[in-house]
Amino acid sequence: MLTTDKVTVKFGGLTAVNQVSVHVEAHRITGLIGPNGAGKTTFFNCISGVYRPNSGSVIFEGNHIEGKKPYQVNRAGISRTYQIINLFKKMNVLENVLVGMHPRLKSGYLSDMFRTPSQRREEKAAYERAYEWLKFVDLQDHALDPAGSLSYGKQRLLEIARSLASTPKLILLDEPAAGMNSKEKEELDELLKRILELGVTVLMVEHDMKLVMGICHYLNVLSEGKLLAKGTPSEIQNNPDVIQAYLGGE
Amino acid sequence: MQKSLANNSLGKKLIAPIAILLALGMPLYVRGAEYPLMLACIIQLYVVAVSGLDILFGYCGQISLGHAAFYAIGAYGSAILHNNFGLPILFTMFVAATLAALVGAVLAIPASKLVFHFLSLATVAFGEIVYQFIVHSPGGITKDFNGIFSARLSIFGFEFSTYRLWYYFGLACVIVFLTAKYFLVHSKTGRAFTAIRENSHAANGMGINVRKYKVMAFATSAFYTAFAGAMYIHLVGYVHPDTFLRKQSVLFLTMLLFGGTGSLTGPILGVISVELLIESLRVLQDYQGFVYGILLLIVIVALPGGLFGGFKNVWNLLAGRLGKRRGGAGAC
Ligand SMILES: Nc1ncnc2c1ncn2[C@@H]1O[C@H](COP(=O)(O)OP(=O)(O)O)[C@@H](O)[C@H]1O
Ligand SMILES: [Mg+2]
Repeated sequence: MLTTDKVTVKFGGLTAVNQVSVHVEAHRITGLIGPNGAGKTTFFNCISGVYRPNSGSVIFEGNHIEGKKPYQVNRAGISRTYQIINLFKKMNVLENVLVGMHPRLKSGYLSDMFRTPSQRREEKAAYERAYEWLKFVDLQDHALDPAGSLSYGKQRLLEIARSLASTPKLILLDEPAAGMNSKEKEELDELLKRILELGVTVLMVEHDMKLVMGICHYLNVLSEGKLLAKGTPSEIQNNPDVIQAYLGGE
Repeated sequence: MQKSLANNSLGKKLIAPIAILLALGMPLYVRGAEYPLMLACIIQLYVVAVSGLDILFGYCGQISLGHAAFYAIGAYGSAILHNNFGLPILFTMFVAATLAALVGAVLAIPASKLVFHFLSLATVAFGEIVYQFIVHSPGGITKDFNGIFSARLSIFGFEFSTYRLWYYFGLACVIVFLTAKYFLVHSKTGRAFTAIRENSHAANGMGINVRKYKVMAFATSAFYTAFAGAMYIHLVGYVHPDTFLRKQSVLFLTMLLFGGTGSLTGPILGVISVELLIESLRVLQDYQGFVYGILLLIVIVALPGGLFGGFKNVWNLLAGRLGKRRGGAGAC
């Protein structure tokens, strides 16, 4: 579904991502792990259009998407969440999800301004669907609260709901469990399975090894910008290079 | 339930603004109250102008210190189209406002890349350019430093010859423009504006073409303010280029910030309070800039959210107390 070919990103003299080639299989949860500063978020930014790679290509369903703008990548069917929470804080929870639905709504400037019957119908349906997404992540009781007032863990869930609302084919999750307590992590584990059941493919950066090893079908390990290893969780767990990187890196 | 979620019952939201504006019409019932009535008319057209600025600044988070330029394009555009081509006034008002929207869009295409401080500078420069164009116009089409005269408003031969009559026209304009603003900000387009204000990176990531929506916000805002300019010239019958100095842009922004951004009511409260204050301080006319500065300082230091934000806080406090006494049911 998604293939990157020798993607490289440089910040001045620093090569944050160095010739990384990975493959994401459809209908799987693929993990991307590695010590802090390994280049995982930069790699995500490259896929989602925030950065244009200095070299290499990103191919999604047969089309080159490197160098496309973030909103174009989103329209192509890749949606994401952020490691540093990036919600629309003063908008309420439901509105955040509605913004996520933006690329799927058809109304335009004039039909919005004059509130035409078709615009009205679409909005009504959109509110109902947004509410369904909140139920999906169990945030329906907070629909009208400002997004900024939610707890850290709930903000992460809202980020997921917001990005699912654009009905992506592939979702990129950047440390979804960060800041969650153990109960929330268990619920996240179960939520990830339900996301997969929707037919959405997942590529996930995560530090929580219990979660990663339990749910990912396939793992890629980054270290200092380079792809250190790839394989199934059990292969990765027994890989001496990986053990070395984790023990030596911190 | 969906209705309460959407929180967009138009009637409720429009009650306060319309009530305030009707109250403004009180001089209608007082014989010979020409001066307060004229003031009410001016307030109405300023409400249209400042509501337009609110779409850009309050909702989309983009600053403009050059809105006097759009105000000017509306006033001069409508006057020139009417004087030189004999087109009917309401039509010229719309054409001039549409022209301003196009100019706004063209300005926004490069300006949408700029961050806050640079955007303020660019819009100041835009205001200067338009002013210079007016006072040194090609072929003297704007009558340069003399200012320009135009006819009072008339629609299909009906002349709005008194402030009393014009007041009803102004009220109709306010209702139409506020309703359109309400529809726009509570829609996909308005959510995109607000998302850009809140976090433009995330907005981009959610599939919003940030540049396109900034251009739309600029154009909409320009249309509102230019239409207000056209209302002005066909109310007063004359404009002088010095009406469109930077001072006027600062006045719009002061009114908006003082009343409160991002609502229907805020701009109305801001326009009324600032306009009445300035009128009652006529003696201080040479120090208007100073007065605006003080008002802005008050808002920034003591009243973030403006008058409307302040009222809402007081209201919530009272409602919260009452709610608690009734057993906390007030939260919903
Ligand atoms: N915008 C940037 N400018 C300069 N350096 C950056 C930037 N973003 C990330 N880096 C650097 O790139 C490296 C990889 O960072 P990042 O991708 O955030 O790592 P990870 O997500 O794996 O923890 C780090 O050394 C970081 O300091
Ligand atoms: Mg990271």
